[in-house]
Amino acid sequence: MRFSGFRVIAEALTGHKGWKPLWRNPDPQPAYDYVIVGGGGHGLATAYYLAKTFRKARIAVLEKGWLGSGNIGRNTTIIRSNYLLPGNEPFYEFSMKLWEGLEQEFNFNAMVSQRGILNLIHTDGQRDAYRRRGNAMLLAGADAELLNRDQVREMAPFLNFDNARFPIKGGLVQRRAGTARHDGVAWGYARGADLHGVDLIQNCEVTGFRIENGRVLGVETSRGYIGAGKVGVAVAGNSSRVMAMAGMRLPIENHVLQAFVSEGLKPLIPGVITFGAGHFYVSQSDKGGLVFGGDIDGYNSYAQRGNLPVIEDVAEGGMALMPMIGRARLLRAWGGIMDMSMDGTPIIDKTPVGGLYLNAGWCYGGFKATPASGYAFAHLLATGQTHDTTRFMRLDRFERGYVIDEKGMGAQPNLH
Amino acid sequence: MLIPHPLLGPRDAQEFTYLGDASLLNRPDGMAEGALAAFCDYVYLRDNPAGVHRELWFHEQGDRSWLVVTRNTVTHEILGAELARDVALRRQK
Amino acid sequence: MTDLSPISALGHAVPQAVRIGTLTITENAGLALASLALRQGGGAPQPFGLPLPGPGGWANAGATSAFWTGPGAWMIEADGRAEDDFASALKAEAPGCSVAEQTDGWAVFEIAASVATLEALLEKLVNIDASRFVPGSALRTGLEHMSVFLIRRTEGQLALWAMRSAAGSAFHAIEAAARRLDVA
Ligand SMILES: Cc1cc2nc3c(=O)[nH]c(=O)nc-3n(C[C@H](O)[C@H](O)[C@H](O)COP(=O)(O)OP(=O)(O)OC[C@H]3O[C@@H](n4cnc5c(N)ncnc54)[C@H](O)[C@@H]3O)c2cc1C
Repeated sequence: MRFSGFRVIAEALTGHKGWKPLWRNPDPQPAYDYVIVGGGGHGLATAYYLAKTFRKARIAVLEKGWLGSGNIGRNTTIIRSNYLLPGNEPFYEFSMKLWEGLEQEFNFNAMVSQRGILNLIHTDGQRDAYRRRGNAMLLAGADAELLNRDQVREMAPFLNFDNARFPIKGGLVQRRAGTARHDGVAWGYARGADLHGVDLIQNCEVTGFRIENGRVLGVETSRGYIGAGKVGVAVAGNSSRVMAMAGMRLPIENHVLQAFVSEGLKPLIPGVITFGAGHFYVSQSDKGGLVFGGDIDGYNSYAQRGNLPVIEDVAEGGMALMPMIGRARLLRAWGGIMDMSMDGTPIIDKTPVGGLYLNAGWCYGGFKATPASGYAFAHLLATGQTHDTTRFMRLDRFERGYVIDEKGMGAQPNLH
Repeated sequence: MLIPHPLLGPRDAQEFTYLGDASLLNRPDGMAEGALAAFCDYVYLRDNPAGVHRELWFHEQGDRSWLVVTRNTVTHEILGAELARDVALRRQK
Repeated sequence: MTDLSPISALGHAVPQAVRIGTLTITENAGLALASLALRQGGGAPQPFGLPLPGPGGWANAGATSAFWTGPGAWMIEADGRAEDDFASALKAEAPGCSVAEQTDGWAVFEIAASVATLEALLEKLVNIDASRFVPGSALRTGLEHMSVFLIRRTEGQLALWAMRSAAGSAFHAIEAAARRLDVA
């Protein structure tokens, strides 16, 4: 079933009776060539690219809940490639390029909306740092523009430019950045994977690995044993728990990140705006709700809900940046579990166990990475070789001393 | 969250800053055999359990004590707190 | 160099005070502050005959008071001695202890009101249990992201030590909260 404008009109005229489920709901086979653990954005994208681009094979995605029940459906949907370090920026720019062709690629409306991201500058030091970051972005083929105060005012006149402590002095804008519909991304990849023959198996929790002579043979699941040629783990906030079943300890701590949505308002916020002096960022969804958030709560958590102090902190940041937000009523707040790595950068690599591969450590920034992460992980699974854009995102970089510490915070996950 | 400070009674968790797993008290001996690998583990690897977790909190906006707090990471329930100093001294014995 | 004139923590020639109904907030520029810490294994002294209080406590003897700030550590206050070298005097009273001058780093505001008003004010300003913060209590906590010491001197008297560099912000926070209370 292909989606098209014609199809939508035809269905509208015939009572929407012709739509079909987007994917099958198969029972697991006894064995697959590739088993992907985790049916979030990264797992589904991996299966999609594996089936479509790299190898025709028997592939399954095992998801303990329903597809998209994890962070892919909980994030604030920002996509951008505005990183500084050479270990990061080419990867995120690769992802940005994949976003730009994504809807044509998998024939699904993921509502990719390149409305731009504006990082505000409040001090001279910050301007220097952003100029440096903008130059790094340009060198990696991304777009970046440094704005002065008047140009920012033109874009977002409602900001508090003369806040006594944190006046706005300019901004770094990436116009190709923006937002995408998080669920739509999961559904698009799921449907695309299914069309290429991938078995998407829901309510199937991986409970153990069968490992013999240092090689993985398959996985134990709540729906029985499933044999596997290769296993790729992409379980985001459950990475430590799942990899512990393979006898590994990871350079990861789990933390909770909260997000907030206001009642629907008329179009107001031009793109994504980040406060450079506090921890606050905001965008507006297509339905009109202001989508905003701030810092992680800061303590280890698997609770998928946060506490009030951070809500207060985010509200304070919002009020400092755009006082009119105080008029908007909060509709919903929720939390998701972040796999915070020790340097704030993800891991896409093989593991010491033969045939077992790991995709983890996405912190609060893995949504934007979904296409490239899936692509690179599929490349690694299919070829055994690291994709060029992820060649620094190695599991052993910590012991080798090659951390990719974008924030320069050291091995303190709650500060990344 | 309220942290039951052993000296001061229940105090708002907001007064504290968080460091992480209490195993950070067990700093390896830098001169011992295999110190490099031991430090790599110490600095970068974590058990990161879902459930009961012993962790270091610093009472920054308070009496500046380090506490070892026992907390459930799934429910956020706090099960106890002691002075990290007491924990460390007990270990030395 | 001859025309320098001293200013208080709030930046005025004379200490400030405001009255809001029956509540008063007064900048106390005369109170000296010095910290006292025990060295490892050392016993607690009794400077100026003052028994040093335990955790969460404030004790007073004549013109000198002390409040607990951490295990083996206190702040000592002395009325009207902000302008002399109180730390040296304390050092002489506490041999073998670490003493540091603190007056220059802090500003103190004395707040007086009825019990009900003070407790209502505490509830607006800080996340502590106001009903347990009885006379003779002292603690450090966060107030609008600033680290402050609070002392309950008597039923109707509260003192707040704030960082001197943020004295204006602290004073503003107290005053703004007090104005929102219903004090006749
Ligand atoms: C509040 C919030 C805001 C965010 N904002 C942004 C943002 O603006 N931009 C951005 O780029 N990123 C953002 N992120 C981060 C982003 O959502 C994540 O990094 C990303 O979604 C993680 O990858 P995923 O989609 O594969 O994870 P998930 O969707 O969590 O997928 C992991 C899946 O694994 C499954 N699983 C776990 N254990 C097992 C098991 N044993 N067996 C089988 N299945 C298992 C889970 O059920 C889950 O479905 C945000 C996250 C949160 C919580």
